[in-house]
Amino acid sequence: MDISSLIESLHPLEIKVLSTFGASPSAILHTEQLAQSTGLDPSQLSMAVEWLLAKSLLAVDTETSTPIVSLTKTGELYFEKYSPIERVLSVARDAAKTGMRLTIQDIQSREGLEPTEVSGAIGRLKKEGALLIIQGGCIESTSRPSPTAEAMRGLLQELHRAPRELLAFPEAQRHVIHDHAVKRGNAREPFRIDDRVARALKLSVTGIEAIQQLSQQGTAKADNPPIGGQRQRQEMQAKIADNYSQQAAQTPLPQQRKLSALIHEEISQLTPELLKDGNWRTKRFRKYTISLRAPRIAPGKRHPYREFLDAVKTQLVSMGFQEMRGPLVETEFWNMDALFMPQFHPARDIHDVYFVKEPTHASSIAEPFLSQVAQAHQHGGKTGSTGWSYPFDVERARRLVLRSQGTAVSAHTLAAQPAVPGKYFSIARCFRYDQVDATHATDFFQVEGIMLGEDINFRTLLGLLNLFAREVAHAKEVKFLPAYFPFTEPSVELHVRHPKLGWMELGGAGLFRPEVTIPLGVTVPVIAWGLGLDRMAMVALGIHDIRELFTDNLDLIRSTRGAF
Amino acid sequence: MPTITIFKHDLENLLAGPGEGPQPITIEQLEDSLMLVKGELKGQSPDTGELRIELQDSNRPDLWCCEGIARQIRAKRQGALSKYDFLTTKLKSPKRLNVAPGLEKVRPYVAACAATGYLVTQEGLAQLIQTQEKLSEMFGRKRRTVSIGLYRLAAIEFPITYDLVKPDEASFTPLGMDTVMTLGEMLLVHPKGLEFGGILAGQDRLPFLRDAKRQALSFPPIINSRESGEVRVGDDALFVEVTGTDLSMVVLTLNIFAANLADRGAVIEPIEIRYPYKTALGTGVITPQDLEKSQKLPISTIEQALGQALGAQKVANALRAYGYRVATKGKHITVTLPFYRQDLMHAMDVVEDVAISRGYGDFLPEMPSQFTVGGLSRIEEVSDRVRMLMVGMGFQEIISNILGAPQDLRDAMRLEGSEWGQLVEVDNVMSQNFSALRQWILPSLLRVEAASNRAFYPHRLFESGEVARPDPTQSVGSRTVTVLGGMIAHADTHFSEAHSCLDTLFYYVNQTYSLEPIQHPSFLAGRVGSIISEGKQVGVIGELHPEVLERWQISVPAVAFEIDLTELAER
Repeated sequence: MDISSLIESLHPLEIKVLSTFGASPSAILHTEQLAQSTGLDPSQLSMAVEWLLAKSLLAVDTETSTPIVSLTKTGELYFEKYSPIERVLSVARDAAKTGMRLTIQDIQSREGLEPTEVSGAIGRLKKEGALLIIQGGCIESTSRPSPTAEAMRGLLQELHRAPRELLAFPEAQRHVIHDHAVKRGNAREPFRIDDRVARALKLSVTGIEAIQQLSQQGTAKADNPPIGGQRQRQEMQAKIADNYSQQAAQTPLPQQRKLSALIHEEISQLTPELLKDGNWRTKRFRKYTISLRAPRIAPGKRHPYREFLDAVKTQLVSMGFQEMRGPLVETEFWNMDALFMPQFHPARDIHDVYFVKEPTHASSIAEPFLSQVAQAHQHGGKTGSTGWSYPFDVERARRLVLRSQGTAVSAHTLAAQPAVPGKYFSIARCFRYDQVDATHATDFFQVEGIMLGEDINFRTLLGLLNLFAREVAHAKEVKFLPAYFPFTEPSVELHVRHPKLGWMELGGAGLFRPEVTIPLGVTVPVIAWGLGLDRMAMVALGIHDIRELFTDNLDLIRSTRGAF
Repeated sequence: MPTITIFKHDLENLLAGPGEGPQPITIEQLEDSLMLVKGELKGQSPDTGELRIELQDSNRPDLWCCEGIARQIRAKRQGALSKYDFLTTKLKSPKRLNVAPGLEKVRPYVAACAATGYLVTQEGLAQLIQTQEKLSEMFGRKRRTVSIGLYRLAAIEFPITYDLVKPDEASFTPLGMDTVMTLGEMLLVHPKGLEFGGILAGQDRLPFLRDAKRQALSFPPIINSRESGEVRVGDDALFVEVTGTDLSMVVLTLNIFAANLADRGAVIEPIEIRYPYKTALGTGVITPQDLEKSQKLPISTIEQALGQALGAQKVANALRAYGYRVATKGKHITVTLPFYRQDLMHAMDVVEDVAISRGYGDFLPEMPSQFTVGGLSRIEEVSDRVRMLMVGMGFQEIISNILGAPQDLRDAMRLEGSEWGQLVEVDNVMSQNFSALRQWILPSLLRVEAASNRAFYPHRLFESGEVARPDPTQSVGSRTVTVLGGMIAHADTHFSEAHSCLDTLFYYVNQTYSLEPIQHPSFLAGRVGSIISEGKQVGVIGELHPEVLERWQISVPAVAFEIDLTELAER
């Protein structure tokens, strides 16, 4: 490439960098000096420098690199919610106070930590003598301090404020940083060490030539003789502004555009006027550097989790399922009694369901369902069952709760004369009285439904589950395990081998007990099924914490690609 | 769903039966066999042989122990349950336990037996205690309906009396204490008294078990005596009693203990309970006792439900191998549950046991063949349509919790005391953050806006989702409504930007609307309107009040609207 076409291809950022050398072409400038005199931000500057180096207009005189420590995303998370090592230690110490036995699994499930995180933390704490592993895989605190855990807090706090040079830390802390820095194959570490490269740069021979040409160009095409270097700078500014209009979608100021056009007969923007009067024929259009990164836009789009649920919805409809809806506030009757869960069932306890404050009870429950369900509970009624043999409490049945299971929606459908054969589904919001953590949400979607028909039996139940395994989880292998649900008999757990997750529980199903269907007026066999899709959704969305499904972080929502 | 801890070699010994060498089982074989008991291996430590197993079936308390799991696997391997002689032997003069009058109003039922010849080992004792705890906690509803006591038989002289005494009439040294106390004192100071005393609330006389020498055994369902009620490793004669409020559950619990101890090699000696009042089993009740829960059903019922023609023989074999007693006659089968089970309510329970005994893998899945037409509900169709329109207008969809904090839903929106601030609230609040259902959707949008001031502007957010609005005309006191909310936030936003979007939406859902100025505390006065369509209020639009933005710590102006889609869908 000859020098003039080289100059023509220069990006305004490059020109800006080159022009800093303009006054003294033989100067050696450090990156910081360049940053100062160009006023460019570090990423722009490093981009421009890289380009100039590639074009051999600049050369590296000397190069020094400094390791800088910063927090990773995991590190920021640890800063907010404590690192595994701090959490393990604190749980172990709490347990020591109460004399509780604590296994590695307890810690994992209670703290919602990954097995590798826990084992890593325990390994270190054991090495430091802060923990003992005693018989039965139990953890015991020795109440000796853990240097790592202590150093960790300080480091997280310090680095949360700003990244820092590695060498600024004392030896002991440097060790902790090294041990917990992101290395190949281990992305879940709190620290990252990057080398900050400081370079001293000088113009190459071609660079010096280019500078000269640039300033001559400026002089030759000027309408007025230059006063000092002002003309040159103006031209460069105009050029910068023009090329920038592509990058930042900013229109250059009118006088700049005019100046540029005067000098070069060159324009950056085709206008309706130019098209109308045909003057575009006398213009040259500035060439853009089209390899630049495009400016970011935020499109309108669906939420990635909703998109996932939409796909499930579409699949179910395509398999012939009709959607059902139900209220968020339910009576215990529809939420539990109608599903043959006895009123003394442990899951009906105050600790599992949210009760409504006001009004506390529904004004009524539709007959004949109330009496028929009550009879089924008491002595079986007309269901051929012995029932649970206890006095059914109608008051209790009227108690209002927040829907705790999607099956309540199915119960309503059974009572509303459903089609036979018929298939129904709902994606229902449910609420559980549960501590919220990485794997438990108090407010979540349940995908569930029913299938009614004369030909429904245990084998067609397995057939339907096979279909779900194939269509919803794209699994080729399935396992059916006996399960227990209060409202189905026989009951099945569906396990599938997910292409990414390995063996996982995909759902539970069964044939509704006659004690459920007959009191609601249904005489054919009915399959009840539910799918647990949150884990699949989390994999599709690349998240590890169930709370992120409903995140308030707009950046995260905008940037998540979603399942595709 | 209890989770229990057992030891692998203990299980292997029980699989073989007393007096036999252990029958080894690999972890893979065990996991396979656990399907018979709806169990899942949750963890294991290979050094100690400890296994943690979760059992799903809340109606099968007999399986919540090592003995029960082994028994179910053993029956399957042998094709039938072993015989338990104590159920059939007739004793000439059985040991007795007399029940005092008045207990029918307090804690009416008791069952008991003696077990000799089994030398209690460390692990055996741990299992006995675990079973006692799990059964009284989960099956006995925290000791309310069933509680269990274990004693050293040698210290007891028969007959025993299940007595009813005044709180200060009886005293003994309870387990875990070293001083003599009256029953009343135990309720006040003993940890178990404090924990379970509520069961006896309002009683002026209390249950009390004592032997012929008036020695205290226990204060059921609270605590045992330290003298006779502390079983130790090396004991070889035990006494077991169960008290409670439900006779069949009390007998069943004792049956489970008798089976467990017999499986460990003990000889079970039944005891006769003498009641001064009538019970469903009479006034003299020998325990343990086979209650013989049975049912006669057509083979075809089982075959139909399973979708497979098995024939009487295969059905009978499957059930025998699952512990049932079976008699087939023609096209019918009469099945009787083993004495440690009572969970037979319906023929379908038998159907499942046939399937489990044969293994679910034995049944070939069959595609349901009947044709049905799928489709979405009307409200979902409307919601999907407006969602696509919002996306087309450049809005990012969000998704939020429906359960939120009244502070966010009402207070931060300046709605305290206003008609818009009425909420469906939770009675048993765990966290203020999850204590009310959202009554409108704008707070959900503001929640995201408040957390996202670093995301580049403009922000256009929407959510289409359910809200709950108090409504006294409804039986459940509220209505669930699907609502669309949209919000725009950036430095130069204003009313007409939101208005244009609203206008576009109404055009494409083919509805007309008008705006009527209203007073609404969440919005700037004079820049808020009620959306009226076909004479009904179907939503609200306006510029958010600066004080609302301030409370959410939002530093750019925001305009928003909300439309009741349920109302539009019903047209």
